[in-house]
Amino acid sequence: MSDPVLVVGAGLAGLSAAAELARAGLPVLVVDQAQAVGGAFHRQPLQGALSLATAAQDRRWSDLMAKVAAQGSRITLALATQFGGVDHKGTALLTGRMNRLFRPRAIVLALGARESVRPRPGWTLPGVETAGSLQIRLKTLGEAPQGRVLLAGSGPLLLAVGAQLTKLGSPPVAILEAGRPFARPLTPIGLPRDYWIEAAAYLSRLMLARVPILTNTRLTAIRAEGGTLVAEASSGRRFIVDHVALHDGIRPNDFGMPACDVLPVVRLGDCREALGARAAMVDGQMGGAALAARLLGRTAPSADPELARQTRAQARLARIYAHDVTAELNNLPEDTVICRCEARTLKDLRTLGPTPTARQLRLDGRFAMGACQGRFCGDWIARLTSAETSKPGIGAPRWPARPIAVADLLSATDETEGETQ
Amino acid sequence: MSAETHYDVIIAGAGIVGASVAWHLAASGARVAVIDAIGPAAAASGASDGAVSVASKKPGPLARLASASLLYTRELASQGVLAGAFHARPSFVFGQGEAELAALDALVAKLRAISGPVHVTGDGPAAQLACLGPGVERLITLNGEGHMPGHKAVRAYLSAPGITPIWPAPIHGFDIDDRGVTVHLADRRLRTGHLVSALGTATTELFPTLPIMPRAGQLFVTDRGAPGLLPGSLTAAAYLVAKTEAPDVLPLPPVVIDPLTTGQFLIGSSRENHADPNRVDFSTLRRLMERSVRALPLLAERRVIRAFAGIRAAVSDSLPIIGNLPGETRVTLATGFEGDGICLSALVGREIARMVHGLPPTDSIAADLATLSPARFVDARQEAWG
Repeated sequence: MSDPVLVVGAGLAGLSAAAELARAGLPVLVVDQAQAVGGAFHRQPLQGALSLATAAQDRRWSDLMAKVAAQGSRITLALATQFGGVDHKGTALLTGRMNRLFRPRAIVLALGARESVRPRPGWTLPGVETAGSLQIRLKTLGEAPQGRVLLAGSGPLLLAVGAQLTKLGSPPVAILEAGRPFARPLTPIGLPRDYWIEAAAYLSRLMLARVPILTNTRLTAIRAEGGTLVAEASSGRRFIVDHVALHDGIRPNDFGMPACDVLPVVRLGDCREALGARAAMVDGQMGGAALAARLLGRTAPSADPELARQTRAQARLARIYAHDVTAELNNLPEDTVICRCEARTLKDLRTLGPTPTARQLRLDGRFAMGACQGRFCGDWIARLTSAETSKPGIGAPRWPARPIAVADLLSATDETEGETQ
Repeated sequence: MSAETHYDVIIAGAGIVGASVAWHLAASGARVAVIDAIGPAAAASGASDGAVSVASKKPGPLARLASASLLYTRELASQGVLAGAFHARPSFVFGQGEAELAALDALVAKLRAISGPVHVTGDGPAAQLACLGPGVERLITLNGEGHMPGHKAVRAYLSAPGITPIWPAPIHGFDIDDRGVTVHLADRRLRTGHLVSALGTATTELFPTLPIMPRAGQLFVTDRGAPGLLPGSLTAAAYLVAKTEAPDVLPLPPVVIDPLTTGQFLIGSSRENHADPNRVDFSTLRRLMERSVRALPLLAERRVIRAFAGIRAAVSDSLPIIGNLPGETRVTLATGFEGDGICLSALVGREIARMVHGLPPTDSIAADLATLSPARFVDARQEAWG
């Protein structure tokens, strides 16, 4: 059998691409770090847990799973398996349940989006997490965390998570939205109908539960106090809660992605451009078919107009939620943690002068030197230092693609041995 | 063209050698500028493990100069010049198998011949260090060496008054006339009485005929853990052989395990002939890790979080190039250290400063220093700035 195409990520984009690649006759290996397929959007509940998916979402997912199943043994699925990266010789490392070093024919990165969280005082405290990770827990476990939850930041995900918490019987204390999404009533009119239906479902659930949605309101600081978290809003209001879930939008997974000259490496779905679930499926299909055509020397298929429609819808959504982030960054106190892994503060950053080089940021400042290698803080460091500081220098390409346990590296089956290099 | 700014000396290259030269000249009252295409410690110095090591140097002039530089580095540290950058620590060299055990014999003989600041304080089974594993057949413990991360030394040297940093600013060329040297940057020209070129692999951009080539070494960084588990660097004897002979004769990979103050480990390194700092591979990582874990089993509990290739400047005869350009007293070269710049930088800075001032080299090392003169590459004289 020929070398498989490696698809990293078993969400909408990854499985859509896998189905297209297999349909063209190529063997495909799909890996995902999670225990279950679905990615972030269609994360499947654990056995016996309550599902949060709507009927329409369930339909979309089962349609896709049927397409994957139809390809039979051409698609291999390895869950609880991590992609460690690819090197310049085209060797990829997998760790976890499938542990091997091998040379795939091509690589599709369908890792989903990166969730963005703006640094603010207290954002690294225990009890504070991202809204995206809270949502994955809700979907997996089918139950809300114990205690009071505050949602803050900006973007439609806050409404979705708020509604899901409410559905699980634990509505959030409030939703603090930095933007003013309801202030320009004409802008949302251009959104596709299904966006309206989804938003209406979330909003009606939140309103029925009387969850305050405070727009034009930023969460400025979080403090730990007597076993609880005290969250301060820009309006002057304080919230005493047990959990804070932060979310400041999503970004494509463009940080330190592996590049390799000897085999095709493509990014698909939110990983390539953060356009949401609807676009991810279309992008996965189109990208998978295009890659198959490239590998088999066939003519590339034409573009699906749905992708352009989703791109316009997301641009509109971004305008609806637009707000001034620069002002928020300029007002950060000096002791705000910027690099979470190495606990480096804004003051540490300022010590490096107005135009530190990438090397100075790393070696003198120890920014982006921890486990995440700048994945979380890189964007903010670039914004907080001069424009002359090149962002790619902070962490691209990131290699390995994630921290690799030495034991896993040594125990991997090496299928490249004896091959000519 | 805008008015030309004048400096007594311009140093091209803000690595550890250029920074040391700048400090020594500034300390003697000269007005100096340090120009770098990227910034401080942007190449080999910033990628180094920081080992101030005499043990790893080629026997002969290089080992003797390294020994003298180590003594002088300690002096600078005690004066506060390198405060926070240099600290003394023991170092360990281990071997397994016939070739490496022979290399360890040679090491002991070399250190005895120098009778310098590095002493063998232990020689025997691995039991000298509790953390070592079955991959260590014989261990030599050395006292007197130290640790000096390149970026810290550069920062310490360049913080002295009288040094003007200029970066990012690639040098496009230079002209020499009767009264001095004109250095061309993208947007302006600078005048100086003397140019010191400490450009590492970029040296050939200004001196294309010098036989300097990039030599990459892959390095891997682990996550943090309890610091102090390994009190100093742990070097495989194969590394000593790799510096003098063709690496393909080595039965085992030449690994160096360096404990960082953060509790992380820096593990290297390969020797490859290319200049791409991002070229790293799983097979090298695995080969180095297999040996490292056998030598230091606690590494099996760690994760590798980062990898890169440090790019060293290697010279065709594996010796650095230090001295005035033949027939040209206004231009001095200090390059081609191939990883030895950390250890040699203090001494080289002092001696280059003497050359710039027209003074003879320090007596005790004059003969050894003379062997490193660029005069050994005669062709370089003819076409150096053609």
